[in-house]
Amino acid sequence: MGFLRQPQSSSELQDQVAQLFVDTREDLYRYLLTLGVHPPKAQESVQEVFLRLYATLKKGEKIENIRGWLFRVAHNVGLKVRARQASEEAFAPELELRLTHPALNPERDLLERERMLRFHTAVEGLSEQQKRCLFLRLEGLRYPEIASTLGISASAVGEFLRRALARLKKVRDE
Amino acid sequence: MSSFRMRHPEETSLVRYLDGDLPAREAGKVASHLESCSQCRAEFEALQSTVADCARYRQEVLDAMPAPPAEWRDLYRDFSRIDESLAHEPLLVRLARPLVHAGAPRWATAAVLATLVVLGVFYQLRQTPSVQAAALLKRAIATAEAKPRRVHRIRVRTGNLDFTRVVGPQAPLTTAAAAPSVEALFNLAHIDRNDPLSARSFEQWREQQVHTTDEVSTVAAGYRIRTVAREGEIAEASITLEASDLMPVDERIEFRDSEWVELTEIAESTTESGGITVAPRVEVPVRAAEPPSRPAAFAPGPSASISDELQVLLALHEVEADLGDPIDVSLSNGKVLVTGRAGLPPSRQQKIQAALANMPLVEMQFDSLQPAAIPPQAALSSAGGSATPHPVIQSRVEKQLGGHAEFERFSAQILESDEEAMKRVYALHSLAQKFPAASEAQLSAKDRELLTTLSREHAAVLSQKVSTLASLLLPTLSSLGGTAALVQAVPQAAWQPAAEDLFRSSTRVDKLVSIMLGMTPSEGSTASLPTDLLSALKDLQSNLDDCQRLIAQ
Repeated sequence: MGFLRQPQSSSELQDQVAQLFVDTREDLYRYLLTLGVHPPKAQESVQEVFLRLYATLKKGEKIENIRGWLFRVAHNVGLKVRARQASEEAFAPELELRLTHPALNPERDLLERERMLRFHTAVEGLSEQQKRCLFLRLEGLRYPEIASTLGISASAVGEFLRRALARLKKVRDE
Repeated sequence: MSSFRMRHPEETSLVRYLDGDLPAREAGKVASHLESCSQCRAEFEALQSTVADCARYRQEVLDAMPAPPAEWRDLYRDFSRIDESLAHEPLLVRLARPLVHAGAPRWATAAVLATLVVLGVFYQLRQTPSVQAAALLKRAIATAEAKPRRVHRIRVRTGNLDFTRVVGPQAPLTTAAAAPSVEALFNLAHIDRNDPLSARSFEQWREQQVHTTDEVSTVAAGYRIRTVAREGEIAEASITLEASDLMPVDERIEFRDSEWVELTEIAESTTESGGITVAPRVEVPVRAAEPPSRPAAFAPGPSASISDELQVLLALHEVEADLGDPIDVSLSNGKVLVTGRAGLPPSRQQKIQAALANMPLVEMQFDSLQPAAIPPQAALSSAGGSATPHPVIQSRVEKQLGGHAEFERFSAQILESDEEAMKRVYALHSLAQKFPAASEAQLSAKDRELLTTLSREHAAVLSQKVSTLASLLLPTLSSLGGTAALVQAVPQAAWQPAAEDLFRSSTRVDKLVSIMLGMTPSEGSTASLPTDLLSALKDLQSNLDDCQRLIAQ
């Protein structure tokens, strides 16, 4: 992902952020859904994140890794939004069903469906922190970025990832 | 060293190698080791496939998510609005901004800011409220940083809570272990639990808002800043800064759903002065470990009793749901109420529901999720902030152990034991709170036996984990010059208050361990950490012995 460097004209910056918005919004939106944020709120939050990005860059602040920044801010916004969903259920689509239903996955054979379900159960069984490290890692964030998103040290990120992978490896071996 | 003679790399190193996170030299070593060692290569390939599986699984999950419900907005209109509001931002704020973000040393930033603010004092009074607000807050932050506070007390009030928190450098560490609901509330309100009433937290929140309106007024005590936010869960917040030194004296945060939090500095003397610092009418000392009253515990008829609650706890224990799952159990309206909080995965929820399915008088509430409480091991930093690990103690430990790889291994082993130990501590503490001595005496002999078995099990596992932790920590801490202070044990009459002591000493150990490993920023110097941690461990062991002895009685 391109870095936004050097002071530039307002319209240049607007174009760059708008392009970034088109490229990244779906990723951020889906990431927020997996945090349990409901779709309308998730969409709203993603838009808010990009406005913050624009305001931050406009103020002349430098951002080294934009994707890392976007996920970090989205993660924090998402957690706050989810916490505010006090009276509602967290958004949790029936993943088991979607991942394994033959009609939804006609090309997948039974064994493969079972394996996916086992994997899903194992992922659900990871600690919240392990899951967060893993998912942010899969979004392409580096250890220090994950660390700053979650407010832990980079070595702790390594440790959480190690534990998560060790557990998931067992499922593979089963 | 020849690659043939290199020890097998730790799994952590393999994971970091796979992720491209190893420094070049170490990565080179791992790479050449992998070439020559088929065992490690197989291990590495298994890891690679696991990561590939993860990526595939994650993609499936993301693909299974519904599409956005509405059209995406055209951001250009919002951009123009932001441009406009930034263009109207006053000179002083624009002048100050590059200082804050240019990476200048903090003290320099604070000093320059303070000077700027003093110079601009006449200027600011003629400026718009947002300049005044920003300038006042920045000056308040600079003052607070220049002059660390001594221990002081803050009264915290919300719609249904009213308590006092002791804060400051030597405040008792037990304050960190407040009720989960309080922690969740603090997180939501952007309140730093170690320094609840601070200009910094207020400014951090304010800075994060895209659209705000500020109001600055002078009141009897000093300046009052009120900020109304157009978006976000906090609708408005106001803070009062003392005229003389800009120390915050009170703060009020109002959420959009009309919940609120109010923080008030409690004056040293309880006499009223200036109408701002008023001593609270009800002051609940945080340290007090009084057992909660247990209404309707022994009511006859179909009403649930603590015995039913005990059965529920045992059933939850069967599926290990008493070890860290975000679940609350309480007696409410004649039922045993089991509430799942945010963060409980659906599969876990089903397991718990199944475990409690045939129990009478149980009510489960998994659908109305309350704000996520922060589990002890997974505490997130407040949103937007990032923890700054303290490198000094970490590098001392690293040096002592003989390198980064050793530190990583050491840290992993300690994390593991500490996490397991804390799960048991919380479980035991929760039992002690639910069944204080008076309630325990009312249980039938059989129930008492069950309760004893359960607490004994928690204490025994805890004891193992604490021994492991101690054997890992002792050599390193001693060689760093740490010496355990003499423990003055206060013998307790029953296991419940002993479990309270145990809880206090374990959370202290947990906190110090986490500072040592760089997972929690330290609040001050870490020079005495080896001694503090050794003493805390000794204290923990003595409390644990006491608790185990009393459980056995």
